[in-house]
Amino acid sequence: MKILAVLLGLCLVFVFVWERVDMVRVGYQIERLKRDKTALERQRDELRVQFSTLSASGRIARVATKELGMGLPQQGQVILVQFRPGNTQPVAVADAVPVEVRVAKNDLLARRY
Amino acid sequence: MTGFVPPSGRQYILLLLLLCGFGVVLFRLVTLQVWQAAELSLKADRQHRKTVSLEGARGTIVDRTGKVLAMNVEVPSAFGVPTTLESPTKTARVLAPVLHVRSDELERKLRQARNFVWLARKLDPEQGRRLERLSLDGVGVVMEGRRFYPKGPFLSHVLGFAGMDGEGLEGIEHRYESYLRGEKRMMVLQRDALGRSVFPSNLTERSPTPGHNLALTIDEVIQYITERELEDAVIRAQAKSGTMIVLDPRTGAVLAMAVSPRFDPNVVSNLSPDRWRNKALTDAYEPGSTLKAVMAAAALEERVVRPNTMVFGEHGRMTVANTVIHDHEKLGWLSFAQVIQKSSNVGAVKTGMLLGEHRLHRYLQAFGFGQRTEIDLPGEGAGLLKSVKGWGRRSVASISIGQEIGVTPIQMVSAIAALANEGVLMRPYVVSEIRSPEGQLLKRVSPQVRRRAVSSETARTMTQILEGVVTDGTGAKAAIPGFRVAGKTGTAQKLDPRTGSYSVSRFVTSFAGYVPADNPRLAMIVVIDEPQGDAWGGTVAAPVFSRVGEQVLSYLGVGSNEPVTLAMSL
Repeated sequence: MKILAVLLGLCLVFVFVWERVDMVRVGYQIERLKRDKTALERQRDELRVQFSTLSASGRIARVATKELGMGLPQQGQVILVQFRPGNTQPVAVADAVPVEVRVAKNDLLARRY
Repeated sequence: MTGFVPPSGRQYILLLLLLCGFGVVLFRLVTLQVWQAAELSLKADRQHRKTVSLEGARGTIVDRTGKVLAMNVEVPSAFGVPTTLESPTKTARVLAPVLHVRSDELERKLRQARNFVWLARKLDPEQGRRLERLSLDGVGVVMEGRRFYPKGPFLSHVLGFAGMDGEGLEGIEHRYESYLRGEKRMMVLQRDALGRSVFPSNLTERSPTPGHNLALTIDEVIQYITERELEDAVIRAQAKSGTMIVLDPRTGAVLAMAVSPRFDPNVVSNLSPDRWRNKALTDAYEPGSTLKAVMAAAALEERVVRPNTMVFGEHGRMTVANTVIHDHEKLGWLSFAQVIQKSSNVGAVKTGMLLGEHRLHRYLQAFGFGQRTEIDLPGEGAGLLKSVKGWGRRSVASISIGQEIGVTPIQMVSAIAALANEGVLMRPYVVSEIRSPEGQLLKRVSPQVRRRAVSSETARTMTQILEGVVTDGTGAKAAIPGFRVAGKTGTAQKLDPRTGSYSVSRFVTSFAGYVPADNPRLAMIVVIDEPQGDAWGGTVAAPVFSRVGEQVLSYLGVGSNEPVTLAMSL
């Protein structure tokens, strides 16, 4: 009986010590994960800033005009075509300016990516 | 069998020594654990616990489509502990090329008898990494939130900027400081023998909450088009500055607000406050003929005139209170609609005088002049509209042609937007939503009616008259192919502060209007300050209106009602 009591006591001590040690270990683990989380959040924020900088309309326009040789459409060249279901008759206007429409092919992008 | 052997003298001495040793240990134990317990546990706490001040990140600002315009990023800041340094000169010399600070300046800081000095704050991440690789004694790195404006000078006058300590100093950053600012909180961390933090002493302690996020009514693409076209016009006209505002007249939502020249809110330390002042709200100017639209609306509402009422143009010259009023051309008989379309000063003065000072003043107030529009941006001016008591003999005449009155661009565009909006004046606004860091909607700003300025019938009549300004009058260059445009040009002489009279060489040219006139989607104002050469509202400001209007309507998918034929070549 006495031996059992001693063993039980030892078990309790062991559990208590193990719990304390494990708490410290988990504490370090939590801190490491927190640091990782912070680092990833920092990286995410840096990437968001980078994305925002790279996707700025001003930059896209600069790349389009300076590097890709594109240009802004001149006044009257952009025409929104309104589709009215049921109206299949083309509307002829005598003094309308003929506009050339070109479709850009994405060969360059397809090759590169 | 052996019996009890009494200890020898040596053994007694050994026992005594052991007892003395245990006694010393016991005494020390009692001293530490009982007598000095309170003092020592306080010391231990100081060593194991670290109190840090943490501040939640400042909220993000996005445009109406969710594109990031301003946000916080954690960046390294370098600090020094001068009291632990052996050679400040050597340390300063090593740090200077990394921090991009002069070594004598760093040395001066490192020679101070202090435990902590900032060496350089809010550095680039690469500088921080280089600094950590150096691992210098007495020099450390901490992370701080730095405000970034990823698009540089884009929308700078509206966004404003935040200071070094993260407080909003100008623009939206200042106006919405209470929402944007993150929560500040002191936290206690447990440290081990190596100084590593273990976990907070109180596990229920949470991190400081970041600030709220703002969504603007501004559209990045519309703002870009506006800024680009305005900047081009200012450069082309060799003007001092330019301002342009694009509003949705139905709601008062500001879609774009540009001031040229712009500034980069990431680098403001070397700029004078004049560069970051939002002139669209702060600077009052004499509007000149654009104000005739308001005077005309008042005259029509009071039935003083009708669009076809004939007015004699006095061949372009008329004297009022010993002052000669000129027109830019010799005009004879004109309908009232033509008075506005041809921007006749004589015709406008005559109409204003028929209206009278009290009614003119009342309508100017109804359209929002002489008072703030209550836009949610700081620093707005009220313009200058004297009470009738302060008017002189020629005030009615002067005000009818946009002199003797100071208006801000935001007031003028709000007034013109009221005509587009069936006579109802709306409150302009730039923030549409406030969301918590978790994305929960906290506040949605609804369009706010300020008052009805004139009846819808008068507003519709004015639209027809203002359409004539573009089709047959001074604003021909504001025309947009395929759309009906209504608007008014303005060319105002500036007051010369040296002579106290109107300058003959310095002008403010403007164009205010809306499009499509039959179903207005955009109300816009262009103001160009001191253009050189051909300085007329119709030649300098109106083309900007046209170019921006055409591109923005196309972007918004507003189709033209006029049919066109296409010759396809695929």
